[in-house]
Amino acid sequence: MTGQTFAQKAIQRASGTAGIVPGQIVDAYPDLYMSHTASWRCIRTLEKMGVDRLYDVDRVAMVMDHISPAMDAKTAAHHALCREFAQRMGVKHFFDVNSGIAHIVLMEHGLVRPGQFIIGTDSHSTIYGALGAFGTGVGFSEITAAWVTGKLWVKVPESVQVVIDGELAPGVYAKDVMLKLIGDLGADGLTYDSVEFSGSYVEGISVSERMTFCNLAMEMGAKNAYVAPDDTTLAYLDEAGVPREELEVLLPDPDAAYRATVRLDGPTLAPQIAVPHTVDNVVDVGDVAGTKLDQVFIGSCANAKYDDLVIAAEVLAGHKVAPGVRLIVTPASAKIMARAAANGVLTTLIEAGAMITNPGCGACAGNGGAMTDGETTLSTANRNFQGRMGSYHSKIFLSSPATAAASAIRGVITDPREVVAEVVA
Amino acid sequence: MNLVEKILARASGRPSVEPGEIVVAKVDRLIMHDLSGYLTSQVFEKRVNTPIPDPTRVVMVFDHHYSPPTEQQANVLQHNRKWAAKHGITLHDCGNGNLHHAAVRNGHIKPGMIVVGSDSHTPVHGTLGALAVALGNDSHAGTVLPYGKAWFKVPATVRVHLEGTPNPGVTPRDVALWLVGRIGEGELNYRAVEFAGPYVRELSFWDRWLFPLLCVDLGAKCSFVEPDEVTEAFVRTLPGGAAPELLVRGDGDEAEQVLRFDVGEVEPQVACPPTVGNVKPVREVAGTPIQHAELGGHGGGRLEDFRAAAEVLAGRTVHPGVRFNLVPSSREVFAEAAREGLVLALHEAGATWFPPSTGSNQAYNMGALASDEAMISTHARNFPGRNGSPDASMYLASAATVAASAVAGVITRADDERGNA
Repeated sequence: MTGQTFAQKAIQRASGTAGIVPGQIVDAYPDLYMSHTASWRCIRTLEKMGVDRLYDVDRVAMVMDHISPAMDAKTAAHHALCREFAQRMGVKHFFDVNSGIAHIVLMEHGLVRPGQFIIGTDSHSTIYGALGAFGTGVGFSEITAAWVTGKLWVKVPESVQVVIDGELAPGVYAKDVMLKLIGDLGADGLTYDSVEFSGSYVEGISVSERMTFCNLAMEMGAKNAYVAPDDTTLAYLDEAGVPREELEVLLPDPDAAYRATVRLDGPTLAPQIAVPHTVDNVVDVGDVAGTKLDQVFIGSCANAKYDDLVIAAEVLAGHKVAPGVRLIVTPASAKIMARAAANGVLTTLIEAGAMITNPGCGACAGNGGAMTDGETTLSTANRNFQGRMGSYHSKIFLSSPATAAASAIRGVITDPREVVAEVVA
Repeated sequence: MNLVEKILARASGRPSVEPGEIVVAKVDRLIMHDLSGYLTSQVFEKRVNTPIPDPTRVVMVFDHHYSPPTEQQANVLQHNRKWAAKHGITLHDCGNGNLHHAAVRNGHIKPGMIVVGSDSHTPVHGTLGALAVALGNDSHAGTVLPYGKAWFKVPATVRVHLEGTPNPGVTPRDVALWLVGRIGEGELNYRAVEFAGPYVRELSFWDRWLFPLLCVDLGAKCSFVEPDEVTEAFVRTLPGGAAPELLVRGDGDEAEQVLRFDVGEVEPQVACPPTVGNVKPVREVAGTPIQHAELGGHGGGRLEDFRAAAEVLAGRTVHPGVRFNLVPSSREVFAEAAREGLVLALHEAGATWFPPSTGSNQAYNMGALASDEAMISTHARNFPGRNGSPDASMYLASAATVAASAVAGVITRADDERGNA
């Protein structure tokens, strides 16, 4: 018998079923059920079912992130319902509108651990693989069912190895790697696959960059994504307050069976841009440089983490946002906002002309940053579908925070290496 | 003549004017926010549609929106941007502050000017010694934009003379709210209200600001503080510096009536629903639960407010049941608050920062309340239905009271909150 992939091991652990193979369907008991602003839907469904006992309330995590704060009396009532429910049921892991984006908040608070099986009402729940957990997106009904029964059926995915070796050139970042992969493989390139990232580049990057990786794996159709926990992971978990003795790291066996192996050479990569209207429509930044912009958005669970803001501030320092361009910066979490405020990153961004909003999903989820007909936004988020940010007749391009910041200065899509070179010279 | 009369006489080309006279005067500034700019531009384009002579007199600030949540709201802003660009109107886009603070901070308002705008709190610019009046959008479109002029009936002046020493814990905002209660809503209809007396003289520019701000609730046409060395020192810090050719000082004593108040009688105040005039001592409503608190709006979001809040919150955190919003009044205030460490200190205490704007005012971009929820804020208005559900409640108070209430989860005097520590 061959060895097991990470996915096999994680689902075996969560289901208590030994010797599982890809394609097999088993019942798994998730360690955490994440639901965001739309938790009110789950609460209403629960009420309809006439059930008021939860399987394990300590596995429920609610984060009010998609619409924060309330935009009208209706959403205010939804928030109030979630607060009331959390208090009545004793939901300890309730994070209100001032907390930030669910994925980032849960990881910062030590609620995501290696080897865990986590479901969330958000397609980018694949991000939990950055800490070596199995994370996957589900619907509201599935979350409600898990609240009550504690379990959810899952089909064991096949696994694909993605190996990235070598250093990236200056001005090229994790986001560029992922956009390149998505462009090469296509939006359905890895449908229902468990994607295991490895290679010398992946071993050298921060947890934040691994989050960008695992988050965007969803855009190739991945069921989940994974980076093997290492010292970098452990240091992050230490900071998040997770005791080392509670860790249950799961590593794939060296002789595990993979459906395919994809390789990408780091050093030869240029900054990438996803052009409208799909994430897999990817080109080198040079191919669309000069495209006029109305708005730049640095936000989302893909790229509004602390190091993303630092990179943006480094590019923007001493510059001003081009006249006629709106630069919106939405820190991914309250903790990230605190770090940015503590060391001058925030001041640099404000002085450069950025508009800093409260932490949360912000314009990525359509709560702000809406565009009118004919407008164009360059965004660091993970989706550029037509009509996602306001008008159906507007355009969204996706890039790294460095490319976004450089483009905000020039008012047109710009290779960040040009602006950085300008600073050096 | 007093300041108002002198400004109107000069701007209408007359040697003198008297209360009750109707004059046509040259307007120095027209200031509009995103909502009034939209309405004004619609009327102008449909009914007037001439070139705008001297468009540099016209200033628009996007403040009710900072980041439009819907395409329809984005369309409003885009319409305004195109209209401003077409005519050469000065535009401060989203994130630069609320209308009145951004207009001052960017050097658009100078002592002696005639300033008009459709926002009802436009008279606040009387703090600089300008004649500032709120007009309707149609007036802007019909006369101010094409001709650079507007007609005014010269108002009679009422002087509010403030003296005495405030008790510890009583802020200028408490005095201002208390005055609305004492004088009464609509009691000074169409008057020019001068704020004077030793108490006013001792205040900084931004604390004086809170008094002309409230004159609309008294029914006043305009309000002013006679320019002095405080005004002049402040104006020198603004872009473009002073405009001495415009400066006017009154040289008569034309007040129709003088209302004298001793600020030593004041204790911390809160304006309760449903109107700004429903003012009570904080102790009378202490204990009322609140779920939202906010420093922002034309009566808040100043550095002074954030400093006061930081003092109250030192060593404390926001009550878990309260969302405490901080909305800087301008980009300059946000940047300075970041440099001073106020952004970090208040964030770590559990408050949340929002882009410089009018914040929850009318809930265009934030601040909607569910029925039965309550907010305490430094905003200028508390009418039912202004923030989401018509069954929600809005209380108005000083930054210190707002911060103390955010800590307690119920309306609280700041000195009680300190005393509880």
